[in-house]
Amino acid sequence: MIVFGRRVRMEQRLTTPSSLLVVVPVLSVLFALVVGGVFLALTGHPPIGTYLDLLDNGYTSFYGITDTLGLATPLVCTGLSAAFAFRMNLYSIGQEGQMYLGMIGGTWAGIVLADALPTAIAVPVVLCCGALSGAAWVALPALLRARLGTSEIVSTLLLNYVALNLVNYFIFGSTGFFRDPTTSFPQGRTVSENARLSPLSFFTDKVTNTYPTFVIAVVLAVSLFWLMKVSNYGYETTVYADSPNTARYAGMNSTWLQSSVLLISGALAGVGGAMYVVGPAGKVDPGLLQIGLGYAGIVVAALARYNFVAVILAAVLFAGLRTGGNALQASSDPVPIAIAVVLQGAVLLFALGGELFRRNKVTIVRVKQAVA
Amino acid sequence: MSQAGRAVAPALVARGITKRFPGVVANDSVNFDVARGEVHTLLGENGAGKSTLASVLCGLYRPEEGQLLRNGAEIRLNSPRDGLSQGIAMVHQHFRLVDRFTVAENVVLGHKSLSFVLDNAAIEERVASITQEFGLPLDPRAVVGELSAGERQRVEIVKALYQGAELLLLDEPTALLAPPEVEKLFITVRAMTHAGKSVVFVSHKLGEVVDISDRITVMRAGKVTGSVRRGDADVRRLAELMVGREINIVPRRAKSPTSDVLLSISQVHLEREGAEILTDINLEGRAGEIVGVSGVAGNGQRDLAEVVAGLRMPQRGNVTVCGVPTSRAGALGARRAGLAYVPEDRLGTGLAPSLSMVDNLVLTRKRGFIVDRKSALRESEGFIRQLEIKTPGPLTPTRKLSGGNAQKVLLARELFAVSGARVLIVCSPTRGLDVGAVEAVHALLDEARDAGKAILMISEDLDEVMTLADRVMVLYRGRITLEQAGIDADLDRIGRAMAGLAS
Ligand SMILES: Nc1ncnc2c1ncn2[C@@H]1O[C@H](COP(=O)(O)OP(=O)(O)O)[C@@H](O)[C@H]1O
Ligand SMILES: [Mg+2]
Repeated sequence: MIVFGRRVRMEQRLTTPSSLLVVVPVLSVLFALVVGGVFLALTGHPPIGTYLDLLDNGYTSFYGITDTLGLATPLVCTGLSAAFAFRMNLYSIGQEGQMYLGMIGGTWAGIVLADALPTAIAVPVVLCCGALSGAAWVALPALLRARLGTSEIVSTLLLNYVALNLVNYFIFGSTGFFRDPTTSFPQGRTVSENARLSPLSFFTDKVTNTYPTFVIAVVLAVSLFWLMKVSNYGYETTVYADSPNTARYAGMNSTWLQSSVLLISGALAGVGGAMYVVGPAGKVDPGLLQIGLGYAGIVVAALARYNFVAVILAAVLFAGLRTGGNALQASSDPVPIAIAVVLQGAVLLFALGGELFRRNKVTIVRVKQAVA
Repeated sequence: MSQAGRAVAPALVARGITKRFPGVVANDSVNFDVARGEVHTLLGENGAGKSTLASVLCGLYRPEEGQLLRNGAEIRLNSPRDGLSQGIAMVHQHFRLVDRFTVAENVVLGHKSLSFVLDNAAIEERVASITQEFGLPLDPRAVVGELSAGERQRVEIVKALYQGAELLLLDEPTALLAPPEVEKLFITVRAMTHAGKSVVFVSHKLGEVVDISDRITVMRAGKVTGSVRRGDADVRRLAELMVGREINIVPRRAKSPTSDVLLSISQVHLEREGAEILTDINLEGRAGEIVGVSGVAGNGQRDLAEVVAGLRMPQRGNVTVCGVPTSRAGALGARRAGLAYVPEDRLGTGLAPSLSMVDNLVLTRKRGFIVDRKSALRESEGFIRQLEIKTPGPLTPTRKLSGGNAQKVLLARELFAVSGARVLIVCSPTRGLDVGAVEAVHALLDEARDAGKAILMISEDLDEVMTLADRVMVLYRGRITLEQAGIDADLDRIGRAMAGLAS
């Protein structure tokens, strides 16, 4: 690439200096804040003051952080789902639809099975049904990918739209099983009380939006991290991701590896949807369709560089921007929610752009004219 | 330089070219020249430095030392584009075409005088006239993805000619071609030299180059070992220059051969997409001996190795490893029967490049639900000491090791870490390694033989086969065409069998 008579040269780094692992993400976030600040200034809001408000409303105030953790709960799951598949070079972007299916499957279990069960069993049953539904939703793309090599990107994306319409149909288009029979208002039928968890109060008497499911999500992330590090399954997927020929040489079953990774990825997103049921929603709630936590999971996974523990941090960071942004919108000097969206986009862009600097050594040299 | 001087100056002269890569001197003070209307062949084994020299000549690599003279005047090439402006173009070993584009689109791709809107009719007309003049039958509108290897190569040649090449570097152009296509290529080469163009023809196949070349220059280990003119070229002399018999090789042979047959291959037939790849292969490997299978690349060697390793199922025939039939048992079945396998592609097949030595050692082990890395770590440290593997540590990704050290890791795993394996297949075990590493690898294989393993060594490197093997076989077009005892192996006959000349 030649810019102003200078050649920008990129060479792949053989080793990444460990300092860059910290410097690049920090700089990425800083640059993103600068870009967002320009937008704020242009729309007549004081950037620094707005950022401090955002920080307070998203992270440092009691209700700010508890709202954020509540929103981050399903996001951790969709983030794990994306990271799990992407690690294996399987680019499933079906987290959104799989999460809806998790909500539907979880609700079904919460209505049909939970009445007869104590909460300690009913909640896990709901979560498992959510996982199974999410996995089922990716079964067809997984089969197509592993058997025929069909792109999972397209097939999982298409199924997102099918899932979206399925939810809309259950609530708005029909008066079937998932529709609340007690009212003509289109809303979901609530699950048994046994399948609900009450929010955490963090040793206060306040009611928060954080549910114990957040703890489950964290435990899920940490155990996934550990299992993939020490287990044979983690080993085989790592080998396959690094070099499919080596996996074949060692007699690994690529069909099994590809399809199981996609199924587990679907299950993780499905659990996220079911957590929404046992937590805030308690029913098939079209409200989930508005917040795009599935797609955000992809961003979270990318920010976390597919590291399962880092997914927790990235999800909290991301959810905080959203809750903080929402609060700003409702303040006396309303800042459009679009600013929060711009910030999220900027964080992602700069984080991915930062990857370039982490992986490559970039030097700028003056172009010497070739002597003919 | 005077006008007269220019008239006789060669089209291109390279003087004292030295090009280093980390750990190897790929070209060591190489002198080379090519005249107008001449076919000058660069002959040498894999890793000799031929592609590197060709890349220097076309401007892709910049040598550390040496100079280039074009028609007598010194030139400096900073990029292939500079080379093109001097009329020098290279057709690479691996094609650089866009599958979804048509022939004509590929031909004009990257052409500097390309206007914003393509005048397709004019381009196709010019492409058609080039294909006619040089005997390169091609449909300008065909989509490249649907063409055969031979046709793709023609696209590359047409592309070079379209860009005004006067000097063409063809890097291993026959590697992927079937014999009739080789004939067609030779017709094109002759048409080009008739038109006053120069051709540098790169090859490692002895048999074919004698016909087409005006001159042959042989390279070995980065150096030019000799140069012969048309007429003086005989296969035996060229083979000697290629394998470097002047280096005194001490052959290693079996010290304790036995009659225990550990590996037996009988009447193996393999077909792929209707084409016969292996025909009636019969072979026995006994404990304590090395069987060397030689031959030019692409004559079925890799398929033979994969059949024995259980990675490919033959249509007919049987393979038994230590008495257990394995031809339908898969890779794991073959390993369980006692087979170890060192594939030719070290870092992309034998080892997972981003994984550490520890993780690579557990690759072919039996693993439980939890992978036991502790014992593998201890094992790695042992191997690093015993085999003098140069690495920052057992947790360093294997892709950061040099070729020789990566090969030691792979051999260590397949020879020692896999318990109970008594049959070993090794493919081109020293390809691309420097002399010291070659010695070390040969010593390891010799040691494994003395330990009573049956080793099947498949290698294009005749030198290696002659040094190590107790029995030598030649594979030509999927058949074993020659079998001799290693001690009285006749280099001339082997060379001719490799080239497919009747023995
Ligand atoms: N890009 C590269 N980086 C590092 N080493 C290289 C590179 N290209 C070639 N080599 C090394 O240089 C030597 C000569 O290689 P090459 O010119 O490709 O040989 P040939 O074409 O005769 O088979 C080999 O040892 C090879 O490993
Ligand atoms: Mg080469």
